[in-house]
Amino acid sequence: MTSHSTLFDPTQLCLTIDAASQTQAWQQSRSFATPNSQWNAYLNQLCLQTLLPYLREEVPSAHPVPNLPLFWEFVNGAAVAWADRRIVLIPTETIDLDEIRIPQEWVDIPNWVADYYLAVQVNPDQAWVRVAGFVTHAQLKQQAQLDRIDRSYCLEGEALLPDLSALWLSQQFASEMTRAEVATPTALTAPEATNLIQRLGNPTLVMPRLALPFDRWAALISHGGWRQRLAEQRRGLPEQHSPLQWLQSGISALATQWSRVEYQAGFAASRSTEAPESPTAFSRQLTIANQRYELQVLQLDAATNVWRFELSSLAPTGMVATGVTLRLLTEDLQPFAGNEDRAMQPVDRLYVDVALEAGEGLVWEVEPTPEAYDREILRF
Amino acid sequence: MRPRQSLTELFAAFLEFDHDRCQNWAMDPRLRRNMERCLAQTADQPDTFWALHWHKVWQADTSNELRTRLAREHLTAYVQEPCYWVAHKTASSFSSHQYSLADLFQMAIAQIDKVLRGFNNQQGFNFKNYASVTLHNLVRESLRQRQEVDICSDWALLRKLSQKRLVEALQTVGLAAETIASYVLAWSCFKALYVPQQATQSQRLSKPEPETWEAIAQLYNQERLNQSGLAAATTQHLEKWLAVCAKSARAYLYPSLLSINTPKPGQDSGEFIDDLAETSQTTSLLGDLIEAEEVAQRQAQQQQIGTVLLEAIAQLDAESQQLIQCYYRDGLTQQQMAERTGMKQYTVSRRLTKARETLLKRLAQWSQAELHKTPTSDVLNAMSAVLEEWLKTHYHHPDLVVDQPVTR
Repeated sequence: MTSHSTLFDPTQLCLTIDAASQTQAWQQSRSFATPNSQWNAYLNQLCLQTLLPYLREEVPSAHPVPNLPLFWEFVNGAAVAWADRRIVLIPTETIDLDEIRIPQEWVDIPNWVADYYLAVQVNPDQAWVRVAGFVTHAQLKQQAQLDRIDRSYCLEGEALLPDLSALWLSQQFASEMTRAEVATPTALTAPEATNLIQRLGNPTLVMPRLALPFDRWAALISHGGWRQRLAEQRRGLPEQHSPLQWLQSGISALATQWSRVEYQAGFAASRSTEAPESPTAFSRQLTIANQRYELQVLQLDAATNVWRFELSSLAPTGMVATGVTLRLLTEDLQPFAGNEDRAMQPVDRLYVDVALEAGEGLVWEVEPTPEAYDREILRF
Repeated sequence: MRPRQSLTELFAAFLEFDHDRCQNWAMDPRLRRNMERCLAQTADQPDTFWALHWHKVWQADTSNELRTRLAREHLTAYVQEPCYWVAHKTASSFSSHQYSLADLFQMAIAQIDKVLRGFNNQQGFNFKNYASVTLHNLVRESLRQRQEVDICSDWALLRKLSQKRLVEALQTVGLAAETIASYVLAWSCFKALYVPQQATQSQRLSKPEPETWEAIAQLYNQERLNQSGLAAATTQHLEKWLAVCAKSARAYLYPSLLSINTPKPGQDSGEFIDDLAETSQTTSLLGDLIEAEEVAQRQAQQQQIGTVLLEAIAQLDAESQQLIQCYYRDGLTQQQMAERTGMKQYTVSRRLTKARETLLKRLAQWSQAELHKTPTSDVLNAMSAVLEEWLKTHYHHPDLVVDQPVTR
């Protein structure tokens, strides 16, 4: 702690930024698209990694939301989740705490909304972060003013509740509704999204979040797959989620959850009439209702572009539990005929076969929702 | 310097400094007349009663600007000693010769509105103690901010201002609303395009290069179309505007330390006095009835809270009790506590916070059972301020030396 520590209000949480992780955060931030998003990523990473150990002392299962760094390509704020709860850390570099500005995305997009928002001063030069206070979503909606020019909710610094004990105790007492209702943005079609990603993907556009009406921006960015694609586009990266390309040139650097495996045809042969053309499958592990599962994607027929999505248990002699559903959706989240397979009783595996147009995108989902699930578009 | 004697003095006299010594108590005639008038209408009550009374008047009547202002001034007079002691303690604990005692005293007085807004006259115990505790924190925070502003170059400072403060700074130098809107947009564009290129040099940014100015101008001219009435700007305009922003912000962050918040004697006109007579009469007569009953209730409740907390402290483990004593009785910083106990500062901080949280929880349970108050986060937060005041008062924290007379 610096000599400045004597100047802090002792009831407020103030933590030192670890030197090694500061260097690492800086290096990681260099891969972002623009100087602005690099700096944003750096501040958010400093804030997150310094506060996460503290949050985990309170809630051991607290974890950053999946693919969190992608958010920093567009917007300030770091979401941490546990059970059905969420906190968004809002780092600020301001010296004063007259007001705190919370990007509208974190407040008005239904799947981004958090229970609590923590205002966190980050001082990289002197290597400290300080939690200035918190508000609930409901308090924020009531007390903050929406600035339509920079699309943020502005809250007076004095409206922050400084004592974090009040947050943890209100959790224990389960004494309030933390979230207010928010409206769902109007859905975009796949071609609309593609056009927007093309336009906003230009990194010389400095503030993509302000370049279109909020409702359309919210619809685009609330979709994990489109968010991912837009971030990649701004970084000048080609399509990262194409199993067809993975077959040819290996799994791309940003699709780290996937790995290449040999497909085990044993069980499936009894149910399926078609044998896969190539024994190569792509696999990722999922945790569903505390059980480990594996999702595999493999090509059944190259000429007709037919692919299989298959879910099986990773437990030895494990079965897919009753009620688990594997479902495929179009890129803009529409169902289609034969798009799901549900376990009516424990079964050895679930699968869906689908014939695809060239370049078509698919989103997979599983019920119950796997841990750390984020929508992902696989392009075929 | 002699201590203040009468209630009238307590609510109407202000400390006067000559260089760095406090010289005198100066009576404000307007406040004195008002206080005397009120005292004549009311049975004997201690200063704590009057502090609560003026706080209620200040809070209740936002429609009557005159009465609100008067109540604020009475309370400003009342907290002269806390302000003095905050200044005194701050001056001695920071070997900074940058600020004189009088400067620090002004810095404390300037926070009076935050104290007024923060005090909860339903749950709070004692206005003067609350003011002491809060002013210590607020003055430390102003000093911290000033230190950081000192370190920052103009270009770094621009990145480290809240928009609210920038707008206020620009309003203070008298710019028109449309001009401010242009400047704020220019400033947003500057922040989006001029970011630190090193991990730990955000306080020492130098002037942007010409290419950066070009980019800022381009972005500004593009973005201005989204708002009505913003003029086009060249790089020269933008450089000039941002220089004005930095200069105004620095000046605003360093308000001149003249007595802006103390009322100036001899300002009252005849008309003013007439208004005053009328309003103050109605206040005190109505106020008496409500407050006498409330004072009794409040005392009973405060005693109960004290009992609950004493029991809760007795149930804490020995280490927690010791930490609480070191912190609240001995007034040690967490750093000093770490040295004394051999624990890491973070551990000290965590355990102290947890001990305090246990007390807060107990208090919340009590208030839920007895007062039927749902412990929501904002209720808990208000309770936390009450707890802090109670702990500091109970353990005679060194910050609370407010009852000592002010000496030279």
